[in-house]
Amino acid sequence: MKKLLNSHEFVVFLILMIISIVIGFRNPLFFSASTLFDIVRGSIVYCIMGLGVLMVLISGNVDISFVAIAAMTSYSTHMLLLGLGYSGGIGLYLVVSIVFGLLAGLLMAFIVNQFDLPIFYVSLGYQTLWYGFNLFFIGRAMNFNLPEGLVGYYSRFLIKVKDPVAGETGLHVSVVYLLIIAIFVWWLLKYTTFGRGLYAMGGNREVAIRAGFNVKRITYLMLALSGALAAVAGVIQGAYSRSFNPVLFMGQDLDVIAAVVIGGAAITGGRGSVVGTILGVLLIQVLNRGLIFLGVSAEWQKMVVGLVLIIFISIPAIAEQRQGRLKYFPMGKEK
Amino acid sequence: MAEQKRGKFPGGFRFNIEDRVLLLSVVLIILVIFFGAIEDRFLTGSSIRSMAFQCPEIGLMGLGMAIAMMIDGINLSINDTANLSALIAGLSIVKLAPFFAGHEFLSIVVVFLVAIATGAACGALNGLLAGYIGAPPILATLATLTLYRGISVVITGGKTLTGFPKELSIIGHQVVMGIPIPFVIFLIVGILMYFVLEYTTFGFKVRMSGTNPTAAKFSGIDNRSIAMKVYILSGILGAIAGIIVMSRTNSVAYEYGTRTYILLTLLISVLGGTSPGFGNVVGVILATFILQVLSTGFHMLLLGVRGSSFFKDFSWGVLFIAILIIDHFMRREKSI
Repeated sequence: MKKLLNSHEFVVFLILMIISIVIGFRNPLFFSASTLFDIVRGSIVYCIMGLGVLMVLISGNVDISFVAIAAMTSYSTHMLLLGLGYSGGIGLYLVVSIVFGLLAGLLMAFIVNQFDLPIFYVSLGYQTLWYGFNLFFIGRAMNFNLPEGLVGYYSRFLIKVKDPVAGETGLHVSVVYLLIIAIFVWWLLKYTTFGRGLYAMGGNREVAIRAGFNVKRITYLMLALSGALAAVAGVIQGAYSRSFNPVLFMGQDLDVIAAVVIGGAAITGGRGSVVGTILGVLLIQVLNRGLIFLGVSAEWQKMVVGLVLIIFISIPAIAEQRQGRLKYFPMGKEK
Repeated sequence: MAEQKRGKFPGGFRFNIEDRVLLLSVVLIILVIFFGAIEDRFLTGSSIRSMAFQCPEIGLMGLGMAIAMMIDGINLSINDTANLSALIAGLSIVKLAPFFAGHEFLSIVVVFLVAIATGAACGALNGLLAGYIGAPPILATLATLTLYRGISVVITGGKTLTGFPKELSIIGHQVVMGIPIPFVIFLIVGILMYFVLEYTTFGFKVRMSGTNPTAAKFSGIDNRSIAMKVYILSGILGAIAGIIVMSRTNSVAYEYGTRTYILLTLLISVLGGTSPGFGNVVGVILATFILQVLSTGFHMLLLGVRGSSFFKDFSWGVLFIAILIIDHFMRREKSI
């Protein structure tokens, strides 16, 4: 019990609750099923991408190419299936795009492993490469022609509620995908050699190699999975917004990483959890939407979010400094 | 990343060519010859001049990113620092316009002063968070990115700011002895940065702090104050880039370049061979030229092809990864 209370996830959960209560106190409309479902719905794709990011962060690396992989896989899949005259549902979309995502991840892991390069550096090139590929070889415009099976997908709810303001809304079915993926990643991290290897790599790469972890194989699996998760997120986002976008998520890479880190993953590796990641994404979503409920005008929102982020980042850093744990390590890593 | 011929100490004037600089020079020459051979318009005065007008803003931001990466930091807020600095400078010049009636050239000085002061202030906040408070730079500068963009939105109400005095556009549109003024500024700043990083005690401390902060600390270097100075310098470089953008486009918008410029500055910085403790201004400048040549070259070659302006993104990614791979083999040969 004490362990739970001291955990980072619990602190994030507390902050999330406090913020929600403050917002709800100022504006009772915030406490409604439709708001809750709306926040969940807005979080799903970021949670799915975030779980891929989580694995990479735990291993002590930073990857920013996942947004481009999400855009490339979903847009290519859409254009391919549209060209073939496909009219079914989301199933085949997911399968094809996951294959693309796995391949893109494997290719990246091949470059990283074969030439002994840092993942962050390769991902810089990889991001601009895939966005460029999408725009030049596949298409430049957003595509709104959905196959019949996908047309009603954005309003397929598990639980429906009537809301006086928003009309009929509910808990979206894609939350099931998130649950399956979250449990899968949790299982991977906790009970498999791969998962333990990720933590070992992030703790100390050399020691992980000496301990007998096959670091190269772990890198292959990690980047392939991260690519596949990005692909799933891309397709779901396309189905939500009823359009497939060649520059999907462009410029949002760092926001996702920030959410995962706020959820307790260390940017230097070795620390992070599935629950924390989901809470981190929810926190950002609640903050963004909560400001609307507090009556903060759209112009001031970005600035307020920036200030809150600075406070969120500073408090743990100051606390660690007080305890004397953190000397000065700019990226936080001891050499 | 690349282990280079090192052993520089402040005081001694030595010139050594590093492997990465050599590699980038060869790639740049090959690219220029390639585009020059198959495209007549590429090596003309007007095309070279237009490239020289375009690359300084991103090159200056790349330098700002590179110096932050040299101390194992990162400055993701550099583009928004540039926008915010230009915005505040632009606003002050518009508000003070009656005051400077008849002395418009003086107003340019004011623009520079205000922008650089703003850039330095933005950098100081980054330095405070990343250096003194000890937050991970990637998060600290991401938070300040959001804050600076937020301030820009609040100040302008989301609109684009225009209506600057005519004299301001001179910086972005005129040439001195055939060389565009932005490019002159870029070169001057580049030479200054080269001098500061290679031949001053500060530059040496930056490298020390980046290579091994613990060792630096025990040899009496105050890592925090180095980080603070580096981020302030980075912010000032961003502010200069902001002035060039403002004067070239005759406008300031809070959203200028926000989607692609951060990635681009990271590309330039890493391509130029920057890594904690290591880095070279010449490499960063060459990397800027390479990206600009690829962009202009492919734009000319593929003119009329659907989506031609996007091929550059693809080529940047491919070339970037290719250079990382070549660099890997060069390093390996050396270690054998």
